[in-house]
Amino acid sequence: MERFKQKQMNQNENEADSAINGHFDGRVKIPGWSAGGAAGTPSTAPSSSVMESWREERTRSLEDNEMSLPSIAAAYTTILRGLGEDPQRQGLLKTPWRAATAMQFFTKGYQEKIIDVLNDAIFDEDHDEMVIVKDIDMFSMCEHHLVPIFGRVHIGYLPNKRVLGLSKLARIVEIYSRRLQVQERLTKQIAVAITEALQPAGVGVVIEATHMCMVMRGVQKMNSKTVTSTMLGVFREDPKTRDEFLTLIRS
Amino acid sequence: MEYQKAAELNGLCNGKILTVDSKKVAVQHKNEISRKEAEDESRLPALEAAYTTILRGLGENTDRQGLLKTPLRAAKAMQFLAKGYHETIYDVLNDAIFDEDHEDLVIVKDIDMFSLCEHYLVPFFGKVHIGYLPSKKVVGLSKLARIVEIYSRRLQVQERLTKQIAMAISEALQPVGVAVVIEAAHMCMVMRGVQKINSRTVTSAMLGVFREDPKAREEFLALTKGAQ
Repeated sequence: MERFKQKQMNQNENEADSAINGHFDGRVKIPGWSAGGAAGTPSTAPSSSVMESWREERTRSLEDNEMSLPSIAAAYTTILRGLGEDPQRQGLLKTPWRAATAMQFFTKGYQEKIIDVLNDAIFDEDHDEMVIVKDIDMFSMCEHHLVPIFGRVHIGYLPNKRVLGLSKLARIVEIYSRRLQVQERLTKQIAVAITEALQPAGVGVVIEATHMCMVMRGVQKMNSKTVTSTMLGVFREDPKTRDEFLTLIRS
Repeated sequence: MEYQKAAELNGLCNGKILTVDSKKVAVQHKNEISRKEAEDESRLPALEAAYTTILRGLGENTDRQGLLKTPLRAAKAMQFLAKGYHETIYDVLNDAIFDEDHEDLVIVKDIDMFSLCEHYLVPFFGKVHIGYLPSKKVVGLSKLARIVEIYSRRLQVQERLTKQIAMAISEALQPVGVAVVIEAAHMCMVMRGVQKINSRTVTSAMLGVFREDPKAREEFLALTKGAQ
């Protein structure tokens, strides 16, 4: 048992770097689909494999933010000069600091952990019909161009004896979207987080977003939208459930 | 000093007057000297290094696959979003001014506009509606949109952008009047800060007869109302 735990700790540490954005790279654990927990974990109780991915270290603290602010601001001053602007003119005097603080806000998802947000709001409820929260406004940053992505998230899940406070779904979206993201990964992270927290019968997440990197530059297609979805559990296996979900979010 | 030129380019309008004679116009146009695009290439490494610093400062791992070329992409994207500094009105308009005996309102509306807030370096975008009353000279319609592009692809403040577009059209055409209305959403207000998602900022610049005659202004506003 000891050696197993040791191995797991090492595994977590080695993967800490690639897990900074929590991107899973096939490390996804979906407890509860197969009896006895996900493959590869030694523990039999579902709750401890849930704790595992929640154990991903918070990569940033408020102190980190304060300490890195000057270097980020200096980088922004370089950028302003590099664009040919005069950083000393009135409108740009405090821009490096404002832009640095703004960028830290746009990536504040790195400071937060799911477990802090969800810990209290899981309730035992005998509801076994679909629960949907739709039209959750989402703002993220494209990790390739550092330009905003914004859109709407629709989340549906089929509870299995446990329901979640509704705003917590929106908070999960916030945590994962306020990062440097790729829309596909964002969708999956939200779905997996809900799965691990509640072990529901199924989860469906649909994101419809506009990417400024496509609208403001590059191809410059104003009206294009990107839609991604992740269906887990019964949403993936049963087409009727999926249909019901997709119809309800459309109306 | 190139910084000073840039400051003039995007600087405060300095109260440039509406009724300028053509000689002065030519001189003013020439003063807006364009930067060579080769300068962009030479500045790229510094911008890349700056973006790498930013990514590290945010706590990200710059060696992960998704971020490997991000500093280069982000630097190029930023240069594209600030490409208005390269361009001058003189280049864009020079050929497309025609003598036409039209004395009624000409409007080009719903011009999509994307700009960068100079305070937070975050986008703001919306629509521009331009109207002018020609005085013997009309301009090619796409040139109005190109003027919008030149001034919006800079670090901007919406008020200044509106005025610059209006001033550029007045100086180029000497029309009887120019009206510019911009309605935009500011990501600095939507994504952060107050976080009011549906808020829009509307600014307008009315010059010449649009400022003096309320009827002309009404007509313009009525014709652009159905726009949004």
